[in-house]
Amino acid sequence: MEFPATLFPSYFGAGPPREEGGPAPAAGWGEHGQVLGGSPAAGDAARRSFGAHPLPSPPLAGDAERCPGARVLVPGGSCPLPTGRWIPSPAPQDILYRNSVCRKFRADRSGATLDFAKQLGHFFVDHPEDAFGSMGRLLHKNFYLGNSKLNRPARSSTIRMTALMKDIDRLEARRGCHRQHLASRLRWFSHLCRDWLFEVPLGLLADCLHEELLLQWSDLLFDDSLTGGALAWLPPGNTGSCMGRLVYPGGQAMNHLFFQDMVLEELPCARGSPVQFELSGRIRQVAAARVDDEDFVGVRSDYHCGVWRVPGRTGTAPAPLQVIRTDVPASCLTVSPHLPGELAVCTRSGTVYLWSVETGLQQLRHDPQTMFFRDHSSWRWSDFTAHPRVLSCADRTGLQCLDARAPKKCHFDLFKVGEEAACQQGERVVLPMYLGRAHPSQYLVTTQFSMYVLDERLPLVPVLKWAHMMKAPPLFAHLMPGDPGRTHKVLLGASRTQELLLLQYRGEKWSSKGGSQSACQLAGAPQKLHSIAGCLQHLPTQLPHHHHLLQQRLGSLAAGLAAALQEDGTCETMLVFQLSEAGDVFCQRLTHEAAHPPTPTSRDEATTAPGSSPLFEAPASSPLVLGTAALRYHRWLRALFRGCREHPQHSLPPSLSQRRLFTRKELEGPTGPTALQKQVRQWLRQVMRERGHIQHWEPLALQAPALPQPPEPEGGPDLLSTRLTTAWSGDWEQWWEDRTSFSVAQRQRALRERRRRQKQVRGRRSLSASFTSSLTYQSELSELSDAGPPLLSPGRPHVLSQEGSPVASSPLRGSPPASPAPEEALLSSQSLRCRGIPKERRKTLRDYLSVWAEAPPEPLELPGSQASQLCIPSSQSQLSSASQTRRKRPRMGF
Amino acid sequence: SSHEHKLNFKKSKEACLSYIQDAMLQKQWKRAAEFLTSYVESLEKDYSREPIGPSEMIWRIGTEILCHHSDSSMKEFNCFMEQMKTLGVKRYLKVCLEHIYHLLCNGQIDEAYQNLSLAESWRFGEQTAIQDKEMKLIQAYRGLLDYYSWSKQKNILLEHGKCLDGFADLSVEQEMHSCFRKAAVNLKEIIKIPGVWDVFVKCYVDLLEFYGDHNEACQVLNEYAYNSKFPANPNAHVYLYHFLKRQGESKKSLVSALKILHDLVPSHELMIDFNTMLQKSKKRKKRRLGLEVIFAALDYAGWKENVKAWSCLARQVKQIVISEKHLDWIKQEWNSRKDWWPAFHFSRYLAKRNWQENKSLSYEKALVAGIFLGKDCKYFKYVSHQGCKAQVKRFRILKKFVNRHNPVYLRISG
Repeated sequence: MEFPATLFPSYFGAGPPREEGGPAPAAGWGEHGQVLGGSPAAGDAARRSFGAHPLPSPPLAGDAERCPGARVLVPGGSCPLPTGRWIPSPAPQDILYRNSVCRKFRADRSGATLDFAKQLGHFFVDHPEDAFGSMGRLLHKNFYLGNSKLNRPARSSTIRMTALMKDIDRLEARRGCHRQHLASRLRWFSHLCRDWLFEVPLGLLADCLHEELLLQWSDLLFDDSLTGGALAWLPPGNTGSCMGRLVYPGGQAMNHLFFQDMVLEELPCARGSPVQFELSGRIRQVAAARVDDEDFVGVRSDYHCGVWRVPGRTGTAPAPLQVIRTDVPASCLTVSPHLPGELAVCTRSGTVYLWSVETGLQQLRHDPQTMFFRDHSSWRWSDFTAHPRVLSCADRTGLQCLDARAPKKCHFDLFKVGEEAACQQGERVVLPMYLGRAHPSQYLVTTQFSMYVLDERLPLVPVLKWAHMMKAPPLFAHLMPGDPGRTHKVLLGASRTQELLLLQYRGEKWSSKGGSQSACQLAGAPQKLHSIAGCLQHLPTQLPHHHHLLQQRLGSLAAGLAAALQEDGTCETMLVFQLSEAGDVFCQRLTHEAAHPPTPTSRDEATTAPGSSPLFEAPASSPLVLGTAALRYHRWLRALFRGCREHPQHSLPPSLSQRRLFTRKELEGPTGPTALQKQVRQWLRQVMRERGHIQHWEPLALQAPALPQPPEPEGGPDLLSTRLTTAWSGDWEQWWEDRTSFSVAQRQRALRERRRRQKQVRGRRSLSASFTSSLTYQSELSELSDAGPPLLSPGRPHVLSQEGSPVASSPLRGSPPASPAPEEALLSSQSLRCRGIPKERRKTLRDYLSVWAEAPPEPLELPGSQASQLCIPSSQSQLSSASQTRRKRPRMGF
Repeated sequence: SSHEHKLNFKKSKEACLSYIQDAMLQKQWKRAAEFLTSYVESLEKDYSREPIGPSEMIWRIGTEILCHHSDSSMKEFNCFMEQMKTLGVKRYLKVCLEHIYHLLCNGQIDEAYQNLSLAESWRFGEQTAIQDKEMKLIQAYRGLLDYYSWSKQKNILLEHGKCLDGFADLSVEQEMHSCFRKAAVNLKEIIKIPGVWDVFVKCYVDLLEFYGDHNEACQVLNEYAYNSKFPANPNAHVYLYHFLKRQGESKKSLVSALKILHDLVPSHELMIDFNTMLQKSKKRKKRRLGLEVIFAALDYAGWKENVKAWSCLARQVKQIVISEKHLDWIKQEWNSRKDWWPAFHFSRYLAKRNWQENKSLSYEKALVAGIFLGKDCKYFKYVSHQGCKAQVKRFRILKKFVNRHNPVYLRISG
């Protein structure tokens, strides 16, 4: 363990960071930083590097929630597929107050308005029993839900709730209007009830809710509970074997822990079914370390931490060892790489414990304050160092090392956000990690701007610093130590943006024989790996809704990172596993290629189009890989869509108000083209294709149920204007005389006409009565009256419309259709009652139906089906079917 | 409107930048270079007030691309750098430094020296603190290059000194002295400022030692090691220790130098030297310290398989056990470790592995394990059993030794 004989020169200052700045997009490029004298030691010529495999990351294993039987065979092994639903974490729009006025005001300000009232409302709606249960039962008699007026004695002790509901609805509709006038009735009610109506004290509830909302919002901005990642790879026990284990969370609430045996072939394959443990909380972090050929896996959820032992021999089941419960959420769990069954635990109250399975918990530090300067974050982290009794403790301001044997006395500062490490203002520690497998005294510290490698023998001065330029802070890191003479690889992963960055650094490799003694330096340029969402463009085109689903699923937050090295004779590959929040594990392969410094290959530069990702061009050996990957994707997709079909997205709760149900807008016709329009359009298109022209609309049958015209103006200019004209010219009285006599004559004529028609119909009825029900008869009647004078020949309408527009000339046009007997029958309170419609609703239903009866008959289909969706089922569906028969009949050539 | 235009311009600029970043992070240098040619337009209307403006961006990205691009040459690189130097006054020294680093990495020492001289003579108004630092670094590197040419001439002189002397020699000597003066002045300046200056200190001390100024050298090294404003750099102590050793200083001062290093970095590789030095001492206190030192070193994961360290410990423990004096030393050291050393050093798995990989390591460790944990300890049992099976003589002796001294174990653990 030799210390490098010469370090790179650097200035050393103390105090707070001086350099201003924020995220700089190109800060990591173009700098050597320092050189060591005239020797070419600046660290730019990497002799070996990993090249990315131009293959999108195929999904590997997903949440095997419905585990037995839900697996699908993939060539070479079985692979659990995601079949379960996934509950996405809240999005900003769920929490924020959506208001155009507010948005306008606050667009420039960073402050966001939390929609507190909505969440509180959700609570009351979702848990009415908890919120108002007993009070509701007490007041049951005093609330009236009907529509009718209350009579005298009852009125003194009963409130009619429907009016109040109306007011609330009105208020809801006016939401966002900044001149809201509270309905006085509502104000009165809330004054009256505010103090005693709620089961849970309102102030207390509001406080808790507000706190939770703030927490959720800050989690949305940056969720540090995921730090460390919830994916671990347990490498094969003996070097020859290619069977490792993947440990990951799954299930709808991510509370199942899976240990899955994996065979590393060309693509890693799951072997056998995973060993599964159900835990009592969402798994936030899975940490693993190998001691004496046994893996110890630590699992952290908010209030519980557990440790499992996984024996090195394959085929032996992992055994849970111990669980601890914390009062405050834990923020860190790391497993000792030195001693079996030792872990470090931190809680958000600022306590650090050394947890030994044999001896229990030992508190090392308790300090709610941060170490070097004040920071509000309660996040704490702890990890092991080269000395098994010395632990590092971190908060956002830096790292300290403490000796577990005398934690109060023996400690030293390892890293400080400040001038010592040439930090920027506002820089904070995001993830520290012990790099023991590469070098026993080295440490990785990432901040939102840079990554640092520290040597605990030279505290405070980073031996390597690089601005990583990632868009989101790296919450996950994985170390892949290299053999002597090779580089160490560090993978950094971000959660929100799913970024994945591969860095290589060269440091003295420690070995018992002693290694070279060069200072740490970056090797080669860093490399971006594929993100989960990036593979969407490589997948076959999907149906839009599938595409959307897939996009959502692939775009979920990243939740973990792991990597495995696979040495297969001459070929060396690195498999990078990435866990998404939805519980899918994706994998990508990096094949090692020795770089050729004199003639750099341009294989990586094969892409041409701007913005396009690497082409689907595979190296010589991998058509098979591509094939299996595509196949696996295909199966994953199928299972995913099947799973989603089985669990349709839960529809909106049926909480629509009655007023909304009966708005005029909804009763208006369908927005999309009707069958008729479609047909006409098709016809038009066909004519255009044939380059003909339309002289007249031929398929007249289609036109038969045309839109009813507005009542005919009685010839010439309308009544009002003629009347005005005559009034203007002075002989208004004369006009009035004429008019009244005219209208009398006209009415007489109309009456006569009607009688004649009825006679005709009576004559026809004897023909049709044998096979038409009275209902269809009535509807036919109205149909005919719509279409024009009653004509018996089925071919007749065709001829008629060819002649011109006979519809308008029909003397009966403006008269109302024959009395709507069926509706009437429907609306009788008796029939409504026997359909099970409550009393209060009958009137509204009657109103509705009357509106409907007045409305134009054409667009009836949509409101009918809508209404049946909104569960007033039987009567509506019958009505719509009646309307359908009425429209179909004539076309069948009755 | 112009505001909208600005906004669109900014947007397309950002998009272009993200394309470049993307290409670079995927090592598509040619593609990145193509985008960069478009990005240069962003210089036209530089409204930004960001900490890193477009000109710096172009410098950084351009440098990186030219470092990796397959078609780039040193000439092009130099040309690009010269252009970049004119782009921003504030950044001039920084760009110069990076240019020099690149030249040094490519072994173009003379060009680097020229650039250093040029940069050193640059003046522009008042300098900021950062520029001051950069200027100091430039001077220091010039001093370093002066030192290199000094040592070159020194070598020439040493080689030639044997065969010929005279006029040519004199000029070389004069030049060498002038190099010395130039180097010494610049190097002396930088090492006054707190920092990690391993290279410069080494060179400066070498110069001073050559000219016999040992006091100054000693002072410089002491300052570098013990000034509290400097970081706790183990190398500073190592240099001081080696210097003292070269000067033939007394054991006492060597021990005190290493003692401080031990306090700072108990896991430093010099701790073996320190231990052997202390073990040889006649004073009890120092031998005791030696035991502490070797125990402390073996606490660290990096020393787990260090045969030298284990044999040091084994030897000392053996001595104590045989002489039966100072068993309390062992007891004290062991007490603070007995709860974790067995699992850390003496597990059955490690016995197996050590036996397979390094027999002499397992021998030393088995001895220590046998004394501390008794003859029934897993590590000792496994190794001695294997050793006897393999019929290696020293393992049989080891077994006998441990069996004979088993009571010691009881006294230590009790």
